[in-house]
Amino acid sequence: MRLPRQDRFAQIEPLLGKVLHPARYLDHEWGAQEAQDGPFHVCMIYADTYEVGQPNLGIAILYNELNATEGISCERAYLPWVDMSALMRERHIPLLSLETSSPVASFDIVGFTLAHEMVASNIVETLDLAGIAIRAEERDEDDAIVIAGGPSAWNCEPLSPMFDAVLLGDGEQEIVDVARCVRDARSEGLTRKQILDRLSHIDGVYVPSLYEVVVDETSTRWGYAQPLPGTGAPRVVYKRCIPDLGATEPVAQRMVPYMGIVQDRFAIEVLRGCARGCRFCQAGMTYRPVRERPASQIIEAVSEGLSFTGYDECSLSSLSTTDHSQCEQILSELHERTRDLGVRVSIPSQRLDSFGVDMASAVSGSRKSGLTFAPEAGTQRLRDVINKNVTDEDLERAARNAFEHGWRRMKLYFMMGLPTETDEDIVAIGDAAKRVLQIGREVCGRPRKGKGGVSVSISVAVFVPKCHTPFQWVGQLSRDEVRRRQQLLLQSANDRDIKVSYHDSDVSVIEGALSKMGRAGFEVVYRAWQLGCRFDAWTDQFRYDLWLEAGRAAGYDLEQVAAESFPIEAHLPWEHTSPGVSKGFLQREWRRAIDGVTTPDCTMTSCTGCGVCQTLGVSNVIAGDRHGR
Amino acid sequence: MAGKPPIGKPDLNRLRVRFGKDGRLAYLGHLEVINTIERSVRRAHLPFSVGNGFARRMRVQFSQALPVGAASCCEYYDLYLTERTDPDEALERLKHATPAALAPTEAAYVGGRLPALEAWLTRSSWEVRLLGDGGGFTADRLDEALNSLRAVGQIDFMRGDKPRSIGLDNTLVGWTACDGAAEGSWRSIDLSLKTRSSNLGALRPAVLLEAAFATEALEGAALDSLRVTRTVQCHEDEEGSLIDPFDERLLVAAP
Repeated sequence: MRLPRQDRFAQIEPLLGKVLHPARYLDHEWGAQEAQDGPFHVCMIYADTYEVGQPNLGIAILYNELNATEGISCERAYLPWVDMSALMRERHIPLLSLETSSPVASFDIVGFTLAHEMVASNIVETLDLAGIAIRAEERDEDDAIVIAGGPSAWNCEPLSPMFDAVLLGDGEQEIVDVARCVRDARSEGLTRKQILDRLSHIDGVYVPSLYEVVVDETSTRWGYAQPLPGTGAPRVVYKRCIPDLGATEPVAQRMVPYMGIVQDRFAIEVLRGCARGCRFCQAGMTYRPVRERPASQIIEAVSEGLSFTGYDECSLSSLSTTDHSQCEQILSELHERTRDLGVRVSIPSQRLDSFGVDMASAVSGSRKSGLTFAPEAGTQRLRDVINKNVTDEDLERAARNAFEHGWRRMKLYFMMGLPTETDEDIVAIGDAAKRVLQIGREVCGRPRKGKGGVSVSISVAVFVPKCHTPFQWVGQLSRDEVRRRQQLLLQSANDRDIKVSYHDSDVSVIEGALSKMGRAGFEVVYRAWQLGCRFDAWTDQFRYDLWLEAGRAAGYDLEQVAAESFPIEAHLPWEHTSPGVSKGFLQREWRRAIDGVTTPDCTMTSCTGCGVCQTLGVSNVIAGDRHGR
Repeated sequence: MAGKPPIGKPDLNRLRVRFGKDGRLAYLGHLEVINTIERSVRRAHLPFSVGNGFARRMRVQFSQALPVGAASCCEYYDLYLTERTDPDEALERLKHATPAALAPTEAAYVGGRLPALEAWLTRSSWEVRLLGDGGGFTADRLDEALNSLRAVGQIDFMRGDKPRSIGLDNTLVGWTACDGAAEGSWRSIDLSLKTRSSNLGALRPAVLLEAAFATEALEGAALDSLRVTRTVQCHEDEEGSLIDPFDERLLVAAP
């Protein structure tokens, strides 16, 4: 039921003294858009706590775009922590937006960011707390149009019954098109059904209710979606793609939170997309092509952003910042401009070579806390399988270089459960850590009392096969086998200066199942929420037993679902929503993976035939020159 | 004037700023206030000094933490500047760069060798409005409860999961209580409270009142919520005289 738009802050104010971190609910941050005149109102929601959702650059971009559009206002909402939501339910207070404390159920459009699979139960919780019907088909004529988008939208089927529309790809222009479409359709008096029909004709917009799920001999048990007869909805919805990132506003993040948030710094997206072609990486496939901002734009934007926000740290954000063709120039110029201001510039990941170390050195100055590399696999064979184009020599050279530059702590990221992985690959992770440690001791020596010496941390994630990657057909390693291999790793990394951490295999099972299921999987999500699942990405809140129970109640063994592999020819549940990478390319990459054959980065060599540029009519945009790197 | 030493070098200019904490921002924690003010200083483009430590933080020192939920008209920070900016201009720039509910109200340069604010400001005054109900919810009964606590001399309480205790002999300076106007269905009591802090701790109004409502004197009375405002912070010298942070003896005139 659509609720009236009214400021209800007075209702939650008395609760602020009774909950943890009341700053989550305050709004009025520096840079927040307080004037919300509308008359058309959109609320963007990150279905987790404020401190987790507020740093999201995607929401910041959409917020700015919508608020800059005549006649449209955009606010934010986050999911209150369990203490606050309990009090709100007790006092019959619905979920409110931040800027005007209006009920979320009073908005014209409510949009969710699908940041990762484990946000599923939180979306159900958010809709319920807002008082919006959870299933799209149960919404009233004038209820908000509920949309979603973001990095995990590529298999949105298990959540699709909750959404009126799903936006694929770059949202900058798409969100404005969708908002205008709904606004105009409302003013024309169109029915909800007519509005959804109209939305389905916007490029990049998938309207789940216009598709039926078909299970046949060509599909997996989850079936595939095809347009209902007579709807005119496209058979495949391709993502929207901004051809030139440099033509978009570079300073997206203008809001300065009061409370400490998970990435509490000014962030600028220096490039979008990555063509390195790591076969496990969904973002590497779905954000193609590579589009760099020019160095001059980045440098000016950082200066402006720091000046406006007052942050003392700036992150040059992207999937692979040190691949930016003008990275050296950018870091050098920023260092010069911020030298006396106590400003720190950070880059999210380092390339595993000397250039990566040089760039890390450029941003850290004399403050060398720790350096992180991601070899991802322990042996050369397995790195070739996953197309991680680095060698043992690269790792050793980068480590030696880093220790010589003054670093003492090294962190190495690996994955476990990759296709074709054997015990030898697991043991090799420990060996790689020992080699790096040995190099560190050679360069830095061994201290007498154990302090100030070198140390290596290895963090091992469980590989979860994701859609639209060359590994989308494989099953996930079983929970028991993950645990056996984790023990094997612990035995192989047996040095007191090597610290091993690994992901919880239980969470990975649920993430894997949610990544594989089709539309029927919504029944599992809904039942899990009914059983009390919330905040599943929070270790202390996650309830594996409840998820398994929900799966059983819906007729599924979730461990089996996650472990299931699909035939390479099968019609997959997510093929009607496409990032533009062709199935043929993914199949070819899968075969090359099995053969241990690598594929180069098209921004440094030539086209590798992924299909994105031809399908979407775009191309890589490189500001400088990447060849010869 | 004992306490923690100042962090600035003597050749830096020490700008003392008074600011408020009001409205919904009363619910900010101390660290959140510090972060917000530091970002405001950067936005004001004042020539702030940066420390040489690992983290290279801005040289700024704050007065004692205000409890989450408490408002104030008398919070302070000392900001070290590498150049002497006219204090009125600095104040204006800070006002424009700071959220209104934390807006600065006064700024002046003070001597570089004065002790750090946090330990030096030992006296606070508070205005507290208590909302509640029940037969015993009156100013007289509250007065009686506070007297009984003072007689005991100590409050034991929990902060999170950890047991804490605070002595009242030194920290509870005095109070007056009177019945206030009703707010909706709630009765109200207005309490003026004076406290003193030391190395041994500071008495928070909420801790005192929670303990008071657990005494026999307030049996049958229920406290629903508090509205707390700090109205004064000052230094108490050895003779018991109170010194305002902007006392003219502390100020440094323009060269």
